[in-house]
Amino acid sequence: MAHDKRPLSPDLQIYKPQLTSVLSISHRVSGIALSVGTLLLVSWLLAAAAGPQAYSTLQGFMHSWLGLLLMLGWTFSFFFHLCNGIRHLVWDAGYGFELRTIYASGWTVVAASAALTVAAWFSSFVVMG
Amino acid sequence: MFIRSSDQLPSVTVLRRFPVPRNFNVSTESRIERGKTWHAPADATRVKSFEIYRYDPDSGQNPRIDTYEVDLNTCGPMVLDALIAIKNEIDPTLTFRRSCREGVCGSCSMNIDGTNWLACTRFISDTMEPATIYPLNHLRVIKDLVPDLTQLFAQYGLIEPWLQTTTPEPEKERLQSPEDRGKLDGFYECILCFCCTSGCPSHWWNGDRFLGPAVLLQSYRWLIDSRDEAAGDRLDDLEDPFRLYRCHTILNCTRTCPKQLNPGKAIAAIKKMIVQRRS
Amino acid sequence: MRSPLSRARGLGSSRDGFQHWWMQRVTAVALIPLTLWFAASLIALTGSDYNTFIAWLKAPVVTVFMVLLLIALCHHMGLGLRVVVEDYAHSDWAKVPAVVAIRCACFALAVVGTFATLRIAFDR
Repeated sequence: MAHDKRPLSPDLQIYKPQLTSVLSISHRVSGIALSVGTLLLVSWLLAAAAGPQAYSTLQGFMHSWLGLLLMLGWTFSFFFHLCNGIRHLVWDAGYGFELRTIYASGWTVVAASAALTVAAWFSSFVVMG
Repeated sequence: MFIRSSDQLPSVTVLRRFPVPRNFNVSTESRIERGKTWHAPADATRVKSFEIYRYDPDSGQNPRIDTYEVDLNTCGPMVLDALIAIKNEIDPTLTFRRSCREGVCGSCSMNIDGTNWLACTRFISDTMEPATIYPLNHLRVIKDLVPDLTQLFAQYGLIEPWLQTTTPEPEKERLQSPEDRGKLDGFYECILCFCCTSGCPSHWWNGDRFLGPAVLLQSYRWLIDSRDEAAGDRLDDLEDPFRLYRCHTILNCTRTCPKQLNPGKAIAAIKKMIVQRRS
Repeated sequence: MRSPLSRARGLGSSRDGFQHWWMQRVTAVALIPLTLWFAASLIALTGSDYNTFIAWLKAPVVTVFMVLLLIALCHHMGLGLRVVVEDYAHSDWAKVPAVVAIRCACFALAVVGTFATLRIAFDR
């Protein structure tokens, strides 16, 4: 039938990325990244329960360059997902839907996530001495 | 950077579209090819280029992008004026929907420079160079800039957008206080242009089951109408993991509405009503 | 040859979906203090050795918070991943096994994590 051959108009290929859609997909991506991080959390607890050898092996990996890079990614994902999650909870309560508030809160979330990530890593270095 | 109203143009123009290949994940019949260029006459002074999506169902060929150079001295200030000038003077086969030319009928909704808007209320001076014009997103294209809206209107019919009462009809009109009538402001003005629905990524991926912002805004309009007596049944029909809960508050809808309405807010209010009736 | 309205109506409204949405929000609210506590604890524990970590985890408050964190985290994560699968997978043979697998995996993850925590807390 002729209707089956009608082309589908482009969507993702041509739509302009805006703060609304970009922050939303980032929230999803950070959530998936954190899910993988939860696997690491549970394996960390298992390693600790298994004994000092297993624990130090895992610690060794976490202090390698790959481990530190993953930790940086997870830290940023965590703070972004937390701040944007709070923004979502505010929306679910029914507030903050005016476009100016959507954009202001969006940029605040980006700035706060970056600031909190920097603060967390800085505090970590300070504690280590 | 800080957008206060949906009629504000994006200030950041670095990323015009999502950084994926042009024909990313597109079926064979939807692949877009390069088309021809129609040059302006040599004596034209203010020339502007429009890259327009073209599809001819009778040719059996894939859609393509044609570039039209328009002399802005020969047409009015709006994108719709440019489309009409192209159709009148350059290429009469260009096909698009239009009617009121003043932003109240919703016919000329299309994707201009990556976002959905009405062609008759978008100034040519506010578009990029070249201006890119596509039909509304993720819809079957009948011809050129005319998408098939049958599914969207069927979803609109699904929510039964009329007054439902069991109380017998009064002798005169059903009374409504000014405060109750005021609650409809911001919702009744929807012109069903479907800019919001076709700009919603959730509707792109689940448009067969997710109702979309336009339809949900209208269902909210009927839910809060004080004269309507079927709110419970309406909410029963809406409470579904796909019909309502595919909305993840992406808010592309509020950003793109040409009438400055707020579908995102309406959908959040529907979700709140569902919470309220359970507590 | 179905009418557009029949296609739009589909199999009707399932009159469900609130529970999933609500639990996602409840676990999110619970996770705000729990994850902040966890992040702060991790920062405070930077560079500490195995015995310090074990001693920290053995404290009753820490053990309880850790178990609560694991339960809330695995539940929130499972609900979120389920939504992602439902959004992008459309054929039943892809969607249903994925949703079931996620549900089981998150439950197992919570149980394993809780077991490890309690083992450390009550051991030696």
